[in-house]
Amino acid sequence: MPNNKALELITIDRRSKRPYDIQIKESIKALILDQTFYYRDALPSPDQLADALHIDLELVIDAYAQLLRENHIKKNGTDYEVSYLELTNYFFDRNTAIYDAILALGLMPSIECVEKRVVHLDRKTAQSYGFSEETRFLYINRIYKGNLRPLIILENYLPIGLFPDIEEKLKGDEPLNAFLDATYGLIAKESHRVTKAVNLTARLAHHLNEPVGAPSISSTNHVYDQHGRLIDYGRSHSISSYYFQSVLPVPFL
Amino acid sequence: MDYIFIDKTIKVSIYKQIASCITHAIDRRTLKYNDRLPTEKEIQEIFDISTTAVRMAYNKLIDEGKIKRIKGKGTFVTNRSVYHIKFHEIYQYEQAMVNNPDYEVKSLVLDWVDDDIVIHRMLKQPKETKIRYFSRVVSYKNNPIVYQKFYLPEGCFPLLEGGNMFTEPLFDWLRDCKHVVRNLHNTFSPIKASPAEAQALNILPNEAIYWIRSRIVDQEMRNIGYIVNFFPGEFTEFEVSVHAKQ
Repeated sequence: MPNNKALELITIDRRSKRPYDIQIKESIKALILDQTFYYRDALPSPDQLADALHIDLELVIDAYAQLLRENHIKKNGTDYEVSYLELTNYFFDRNTAIYDAILALGLMPSIECVEKRVVHLDRKTAQSYGFSEETRFLYINRIYKGNLRPLIILENYLPIGLFPDIEEKLKGDEPLNAFLDATYGLIAKESHRVTKAVNLTARLAHHLNEPVGAPSISSTNHVYDQHGRLIDYGRSHSISSYYFQSVLPVPFL
Repeated sequence: MDYIFIDKTIKVSIYKQIASCITHAIDRRTLKYNDRLPTEKEIQEIFDISTTAVRMAYNKLIDEGKIKRIKGKGTFVTNRSVYHIKFHEIYQYEQAMVNNPDYEVKSLVLDWVDDDIVIHRMLKQPKETKIRYFSRVVSYKNNPIVYQKFYLPEGCFPLLEGGNMFTEPLFDWLRDCKHVVRNLHNTFSPIKASPAEAQALNILPNEAIYWIRSRIVDQEMRNIGYIVNFFPGEFTEFEVSVHAKQ
């Protein structure tokens, strides 16, 4: 979005009783929510916008502060940019690798492996994750990024019984589903997900480059292969400016 | 704190006595969700016991998920059931509510939208269109499950004239208004609860909640309504099974 175009689109109504800072905030918010302003688009600087609208700089700064608080925009150095990131219904209509979903957003996907180790869980914990026999797992903790910025942090428990020598074979920074298919011929056929909205702990906030306590969608996932076996138990946390859409046709209502 | 009894003459350790008293008080609903528990120091002074015993009791209850500590605020009761929703049926409670005394609907505000550019944009309505606004809280077994704000353009809903709110399930009511719904376009995201949202949902401000916006789209692809839903984050689970593309 060229900057002068953005300037033209942000408007206020001088006849309205609503304070100008609220009007600016809502004008920008509406442009973000209807995707006229897209993820990582730069907003005009407060100076430029105040000049264009012939109003006090303070009012524009107030409006931007409100948008920052609501997580619609982010400050990048001295510049403001859109942080709102809307996923399509990819994730919830079919089992799509996160890597591919990031690509579909038009972002360059990459994976950073924070931790990778073999763990022995006690029987009770393994059962609570859904594994009836396995107690030895490869634990991996990875951050999925789009254009090098964190989007989702994911922890997985992969049963070593099903994946011999996985601790040697998996580097950690490759897309998981494609690796399991290529190396073991196992396909992530079905994924069962349960989500909650939670406040990020200090550790997760640090990895996702968010303030402690930022709101996040957390998801617990059970992945089954083509034989119906549980092959992966995982937990994920999203960044707070992450959105997903779903279009529900009438039969679902 | 008259629900805590400690008997130093019996063999049961003091921390277990404290933990079981609090557990009973929660079960009997003497202590309810979000009630603040006495501080460790208060219990220690009243019963003249060590703070270690109190801390052990609280840690046990925290491990069991019955209470939680919030830094700088205190220790609070957390027992509250989680409401499960199928991801593709987020309005399932609309039907479940019918003739079910476990559900309760509290209407809060009925008004006109005053000059809100976001709402007009979401409904693709010109600024001049008058838009009805009303809000309500739906509870299940005394716990709020959703706080909702409805935005309905005036011309689309003659049944609203005269200030009547609908009481039947949303989709039955839409049918009564002669609308054929094509789909719902939902957007899910996490936000921190504002003081008003927290109050409506009986949680603390800044706790994570779901912010789910639904555009109701009819057969002619018009946006005939916009619903903003707030679900308490810790107490709502959305569930979905997805399959790989063949």
